Amino acid sequence: MMKMYQYTNLTFAICLGLSACGGSGDEAVEPKPNEKIYPAYTNIKASGGETTTFDASESGHGFSTPAPNLSAPSLAHHLEGDLGFETAFTTAPNIEHPDLDGLGPVFNNADCNSCHQRDGRNSTPIVPADKERIKLGSEVGLFLRISKAADEACTTGSAANDYCAPIPVPNFGGQLFHRGVLKARPDWEDNLFGGQADVYLSYESKQVPYPDGHIVTLKKPVFAVENPYDAPGETLNSANLTSDILQDDVLMGWRNGMPVFGLGLLEAIPEADILALVDALDSNGDSISGKANFVFDAVKAQAGDSYPVSLGRFGWKANTPSVRVQSLGALRGDIGITNPLFPDESITGTALHDSYLTRTGFIDTGEDENGAPEASAEFSDSVVFYAETLAVPARRNIDAPDVREGARLFDQVNCTGCHKASFVTQSSGDIGGVAMIDALKGQTIYPFTDMLLHDMGEGLADGRPDFLADGNEWRTRPLWGIGLTQTVNPQAGFLHDGRAATVEEAILWHGGEALMSRDGFMALNMDERKQVIAFLMSL
Amino acid sequence: MKQVKYSAIAIALITTLAACGGSGSNDSTPVVPDNTFSFAATEMITNLTDDVITSGYNNLAAKGETMLLATQTLVATPTQANLLAAQEAWKAARQPWEQGESHIFGPVDSLGIDPHLDSWPLNTTDLTAVLSVNSGFDPETIKGWNDDVQGFHAMEFLLFGDGVNDNQKDIAELTATERDYLMGLAGVFRDYTKVLDDAWQISHDGQVGSKPYGELVKTPGSDGNTFYSSQVGVIQELINGMIGIVDEVGNGKIADPFGTSVATTDTSKVESQYSWNSLTDFSDNIIGVRNVYQGEFTGAADKQGIIDFVTAADEVLALRVGSEIDDAIIKIKAISGSNNMPFRQAISDVDGRVRVQTAVDALTKLQASLESDVLPLLNKWKV
Repeated sequence: MMKMYQYTNLTFAICLGLSACGGSGDEAVEPKPNEKIYPAYTNIKASGGETTTFDASESGHGFSTPAPNLSAPSLAHHLEGDLGFETAFTTAPNIEHPDLDGLGPVFNNADCNSCHQRDGRNSTPIVPADKERIKLGSEVGLFLRISKAADEACTTGSAANDYCAPIPVPNFGGQLFHRGVLKARPDWEDNLFGGQADVYLSYESKQVPYPDGHIVTLKKPVFAVENPYDAPGETLNSANLTSDILQDDVLMGWRNGMPVFGLGLLEAIPEADILALVDALDSNGDSISGKANFVFDAVKAQAGDSYPVSLGRFGWKANTPSVRVQSLGALRGDIGITNPLFPDESITGTALHDSYLTRTGFIDTGEDENGAPEASAEFSDSVVFYAETLAVPARRNIDAPDVREGARLFDQVNCTGCHKASFVTQSSGDIGGVAMIDALKGQTIYPFTDMLLHDMGEGLADGRPDFLADGNEWRTRPLWGIGLTQTVNPQAGFLHDGRAATVEEAILWHGGEALMSRDGFMALNMDERKQVIAFLMSL
Repeated sequence: MKQVKYSAIAIALITTLAACGGSGSNDSTPVVPDNTFSFAATEMITNLTDDVITSGYNNLAAKGETMLLATQTLVATPTQANLLAAQEAWKAARQPWEQGESHIFGPVDSLGIDPHLDSWPLNTTDLTAVLSVNSGFDPETIKGWNDDVQGFHAMEFLLFGDGVNDNQKDIAELTATERDYLMGLAGVFRDYTKVLDDAWQISHDGQVGSKPYGELVKTPGSDGNTFYSSQVGVIQELINGMIGIVDEVGNGKIADPFGTSVATTDTSKVESQYSWNSLTDFSDNIIGVRNVYQGEFTGAADKQGIIDFVTAADEVLALRVGSEIDDAIIKIKAISGSNNMPFRQAISDVDGRVRVQTAVDALTKLQASLESDVLPLLNKWKV
């Protein structure tokens, strides 16, 4: 579908080329007689337009390169953010480097890079063959989102219902922090560096047979929460459960770190172009609905907007509206570093925080030595900018016959029903409340996502609503760069909890609205399935 | 696949035209001078994987074992001589680790080994508190604690003292609890260095049936290899790895504590400040670059390295980059001056700062050559 945009000279030139052959982004190129139809995206190498990197796009540096079209000041800003992204925070007080302190007091990791290794996915935890489960520690980028079950589904956000935000677990919050600074817990001498609770991970497996008899074994992570700070030693097997986190109506779901490149481009997709793809009632009868999430926007709230709600674009359930909210929310949430957008500690108001403050003499109140948030505005802005301006890696092997066939089959089984190939970014405007830089404007990009929520079936469900997303719904993942995932991090997995060790496994987990496409993929012969994988690995 | 570096607009237009099944009029096709070159990379990739990277990690694992034995001896017999031996074991382990920072990719990253072993800065406040409430330290328990109280620098602090006035420590200053913790840390260290060695030689993720990471690097593009799809990717990884550590040494490890003047120096940012091993660390980092570039450890028989790839394209450039690497190493070592001044002192010394700046300039020059002259060769390589 061709859309109307204001073009820069560059995109105008590109579009002239496209119109000359009758193609326009996602449309197929007109075939010659007896030729197969290849979607236009088959031939695209520069997935991120002018932000695409070519010098690192085949190696583990593929997600970590600044967009090549940044101006000199923007590049300097980006590199500042790069340092911030790798900054490991420390327990307060840090007399020598007060700019580094404020970690936690409970947290999931001490720096951004630990959950987004080399700007990609985190490592999937391994349970050794001689163990049934492992306790999550410092090497794990995975964590649990938590909330209380609502009495009824929230469908329309308002101030009265907190805009459909998940209901925090009393005395815990919305995210389970399995790590802590040394004295985080009241029983710290028995639980050094313990967090709100211990979290254990194990896997259960199942086998999926193809019609041709080939079998793939899939694994699913299973968690257990034990030894919470409010009831040390308690487990789900304990009699008379007293901990707030172990109650029946507490919902939990794994969350995996995801790649952070190309995010500014995704935020720069015009909202109208995303909403045009919404088909909540499946009016076209393709079994794919597509639903937009509308979520609380802290930037709008801070600016005094009377209805602080925006289209959700980021997060596994599209539960955050902007790179700014996502990044600074993670800085405060995952690491425990307060910042100008989120000035309160993640566990403010809980019994654990109250206890920590009084036990330690109020040394970590979430403020720096001047009474400001722990991260400065400059640090916060640069980290956000970094995530907005990482280059998109160029595609590889696009001329290989298997890759081209895979591109065709990808469309044939309607993966493009959700993984929409391309958009053109806005030519002006704000992202995250800040004016867009030129480098992100008017770019023709190939992220392969519609940015919408879809019911992915029971197999993937976490049963935990998040704003308008229900327990079965997940946002379509952008597929750009997916072929470099394990080049960037050999231990990275796919999907929201890293359960899929390969792209093939990830496809096989697709259910719900994606069931027809998954079945279409499974009905292909083995060579054709390999071609689809080859195409995905070229992205 | 030949990889040519296009401008973004050229790429967009070329791919667009390719979608049309044509490439414009032959009459208007510009004549592109052939500046490409050929190079058979298999031997080089195999050699760098086996004889430089894997061999280096194997050496590190051996040094880890020695380090553990030295701390066990120190606990059993806490004498000055045994403390000195443990200090030497620490320095010996530091060498292959720092040299290996020229290729920080793969399991050292994905298995979280880098932060476990080399987190900096150290959290001395928490370390002191841990020692005040614990005894009999079990390596498995320590592994669950935060990275900033374990690894190289926690061991360094216990072995050498705070490093402010000297890097000597009297055995009487090392308490029994500290010795126990040191031994526990050395146990953790030994375990992780073995995991890293095994990951390259036996199984990349420790799972039965998984391939060794080294094999996957040596066979890019092979069926089921999701790590590297081409030899281009492997060489790109190696060259970018060299650039990364040159950048880190010049613009991070040296520049951060160096500041812009004597008044803005910050000794608290000096890595390996307790042992006064910083200059050895920095030079080992660049020796690691030389190992990858030359294809062998210093003094070993000549084998193929990145220099052979560069030579195939431009012999003059290959020699120049080799000289710039050597020069950077020499200039880093020269920071100590004629009186063996440690880095943490040199940054506050007028003459020392001149020597530091000279080393930074050499690193800047090397980085520019790697980025601007060596990396672009990948686009001219006829694969």
